[in-house]
Amino acid sequence: MSSLQVAIIDCGMGNLFSVKLACERAGLSPVVTSDKRDILTAAAVVLPGVGAFGTAMDTLKKLDLVEPLRDVAASRTLLVGICLGMQLLMTESREFGLQKGLNIVEGEVVRLESYNSEQRCKVPQVGWNRIFRANGTWHRSPLEGLAEGEFMYFVHSFYCKPADPAAVMSTTRYGALEFCSSLKHRNVLAFQFHPERSGPQGLAIYRNLASIMTNLPETNG
Amino acid sequence: MTIRLIPRLDIKGPNLVKGIHLEGLRVLGRPERFARLYYEQGADELLYMDVVASLYQRNSLLDIVKKTSQEIFIPLTVGGGLRTLDDIREVLRAGADKVSLNTAAVKNPEFVRDAARRFGSSTIVVSIEAIRKPDGSYEAYTDNGREKTGVDAFEWAVRAAELGAGEIMVTSIDHEGTGKGFDLELTFRIAQTVPIPVIACGGAGAVDHVGEVLSHGHVDAVCLASILHYNIVRRHEGMDEVTGEGNMEYLKQPRSFSKIQDASLQEIKAHLLRQGMACRPVRSTEVHV
Amino acid sequence: MAEKLEAKFGLPEQVMFCRRCVMSNQRPASSVEFRHTPTQRHRTLRFDQEGICDACRFAERKEQIDWEQREKELLRLLDRFRRQDGAYDCLVPGSAGKDSCYAAHILKYKYGMHPLTVTWPPLLYTEIGWKNFRNWLEVGGFDNVTFKPNGRVQRLLTRLSIENLFHPFQTFILGQKNVPPKLALKYEIPLIFYGENEAEYGNPVADNETSLRDKSFYAMDNLSDVRLAGVPIRDLMDKHHLSLNDLAAYLPPNYKELERSKIEVQYLGYYLKWTPQEAYYYAVEHTGFEANPERTEGTYSKYISLDDRMDGLHYYTTFIKFGIGRATYDASQEIRNRHLTQDEGIALVKRFDGEFPKKYFNEVMEYIGMKPERFMELCDQFRSPHLWKKENGGWKLRHQVS
Repeated sequence: MSSLQVAIIDCGMGNLFSVKLACERAGLSPVVTSDKRDILTAAAVVLPGVGAFGTAMDTLKKLDLVEPLRDVAASRTLLVGICLGMQLLMTESREFGLQKGLNIVEGEVVRLESYNSEQRCKVPQVGWNRIFRANGTWHRSPLEGLAEGEFMYFVHSFYCKPADPAAVMSTTRYGALEFCSSLKHRNVLAFQFHPERSGPQGLAIYRNLASIMTNLPETNG
Repeated sequence: MTIRLIPRLDIKGPNLVKGIHLEGLRVLGRPERFARLYYEQGADELLYMDVVASLYQRNSLLDIVKKTSQEIFIPLTVGGGLRTLDDIREVLRAGADKVSLNTAAVKNPEFVRDAARRFGSSTIVVSIEAIRKPDGSYEAYTDNGREKTGVDAFEWAVRAAELGAGEIMVTSIDHEGTGKGFDLELTFRIAQTVPIPVIACGGAGAVDHVGEVLSHGHVDAVCLASILHYNIVRRHEGMDEVTGEGNMEYLKQPRSFSKIQDASLQEIKAHLLRQGMACRPVRSTEVHV
Repeated sequence: MAEKLEAKFGLPEQVMFCRRCVMSNQRPASSVEFRHTPTQRHRTLRFDQEGICDACRFAERKEQIDWEQREKELLRLLDRFRRQDGAYDCLVPGSAGKDSCYAAHILKYKYGMHPLTVTWPPLLYTEIGWKNFRNWLEVGGFDNVTFKPNGRVQRLLTRLSIENLFHPFQTFILGQKNVPPKLALKYEIPLIFYGENEAEYGNPVADNETSLRDKSFYAMDNLSDVRLAGVPIRDLMDKHHLSLNDLAAYLPPNYKELERSKIEVQYLGYYLKWTPQEAYYYAVEHTGFEANPERTEGTYSKYISLDDRMDGLHYYTTFIKFGIGRATYDASQEIRNRHLTQDEGIALVKRFDGEFPKKYFNEVMEYIGMKPERFMELCDQFRSPHLWKKENGGWKLRHQVS
């Protein structure tokens, strides 16, 4: 198994093509898959996603990927959530009533609207916004080398509130709200924005991920 | 809130074209070349519209979508003649992030709901192309500005949002291609009425127009076509082989189109920043993929 | 299939389509209108041995012309006629379609001429047509003489042309062709500039290589030769109690007067490369021209032939008589100018050709005093059996481009 093999989970929604391409550009070997064997043996697993929380969780259950993902999280393999993927990692979401997530990162998912006090801030947030350091340096994180206040591309109506403030890697302001735009919790990394759609700065994140992967001690052999 | 500037590329076959009032197929060059330049010049997103798809009942953008998404890492929206969920799926598979729906959505509004359910609201942009009527109302048109629908543009915008559209793109057919500025009334009313982001399109002929539609139109993003394309043509950056299909007469003797004070993305963004409007600044470093 | 089908109007029995554009060999060439009779055998568009029509061949040759050279010829021509003493030095006929907007503007503002624009107005202006006409003069900036003919006579002649020839546009064609030379005589303007040459559309290529318009098209030497609405003038006058003066608007200038005056009629399209869509862009840029806010009925375009509420009816009659509707005309022209590929043209023709012009139909019928049912009866009378067959209670074209 190549040390750079990345499994990108296919739960039917989202621009997997661009995630795959971004991985390739970073020198990784991505494979789009919904087979749990691929997921359990990859050097890193990416959980992207677009759309409704409930539907995505149902799909993960149907594909029998819930436990495998928890296993990956418990191991030292890199698990990367993007956009909805980040939200799925949390304990629960308030989209359409209370729904259970993967509970890999403790915290909840809340709708943007509750904090949409400024007239001009619409929901979903669609567009570029700035990420700021939350807990000290970004050194040795996937955000290594990026400038403070770098612009990334967001498309979302919900955001995550991790229970552990130390997990917050970057914050972003939308209207009066300051929310967690990316998190880092041991081997679990997650981005509310889309690095593969954020131009060269976003691609830099993928290169950083590749770097982190190659520096990790041997995982599943 | 950071606003977005989105170059709009109208495409017919292999060519980038630009009309006036959604009429006329003057070729300005190759879309891939323009797309690349816009990416390098700081575009926030890109929009590809197949302007003849509904009219000719065909879809032909897949190749250029594939090519573009290999090289350009910002969101790409594709529209023109998307009639079924399969059409949408194919375009997304080819690398698009969002799709724009007009003709098919007006004919069958439930299509918007189905598409939003299947692909996620944020993937679905409903495009409304409207003409101002003598009584001050605005009517939506389909088939690249050719067929009347009897549908009121504002009512349709509200409905589209209810059906699950992620964004509304509103184009003034009266203004587009003329360089006389955006239809502020149209854009303002839609932006104030729908809870989802609104993209203004049609009419930018000077840098000031962009600032105007953002501050008076209250929109979240602006689509630009003539003002950017003619800028590239004038600076000869987009010069390509002038053979093959299409109305190449203008390219053979390029002269400026006097209704448009063309400008580059950098110039427009610099202007907006000076006016205190938040937008993603253009990087001066070489784009490096 | 041995059945021999009658081919009316002297049209070719076998229907063929050009291998490059979408035009068929049934297309009539321009004829001398005032000799037009009900039993006229039309000259039609010629196809060469490779199955390519004259108009496409002309378009081919257009690409090879040395336009710089032609422009030099134009400059020499204009130098001969240009006047700085305040008088008009040329006359530009037109009704503010994209072509006359382009012609008048470029002659005045690029080449420094002093044109008088002359308009034979549409039977019934459309809103967009009227707007564009005003803008032509207000934004473009031209003097204009509009010759509006006696409405009662025009309506009568229009109705009769439909009855006898199924040709509603005859009065317009006659007026547009004949009034400019007559006014040129009166105003002593020795140069008339029409736009693109008719060979663009399929009249014999030979006409084109010199730009002077064939005098036989607009001059007459003897009144007894003249027919209007297919009827000899004398009969018209007797039957409908009209005087010669009532009909004078439609009559061509006297040949001898024309000869004496040495008026020249030229085609600008001979000197300047004519691209229909670029004329549209030019007109928008310089004379406030606006496209039709919606698709023009019977075709896919929004910028061609917009100003008369009767336009749609005219093209419907060509569809009935020759199987050629507006979409075919527009698409053929655009294919020749490489705005469209042949496949695209075919798709458009299939979708829009022959669309019934319902928007203004009732209004036009009422205006000319014809019952709609009568028009529909005439449709059936003028269908040629070699083009149409009855199917499922309706009519279907036997041959369609593919």
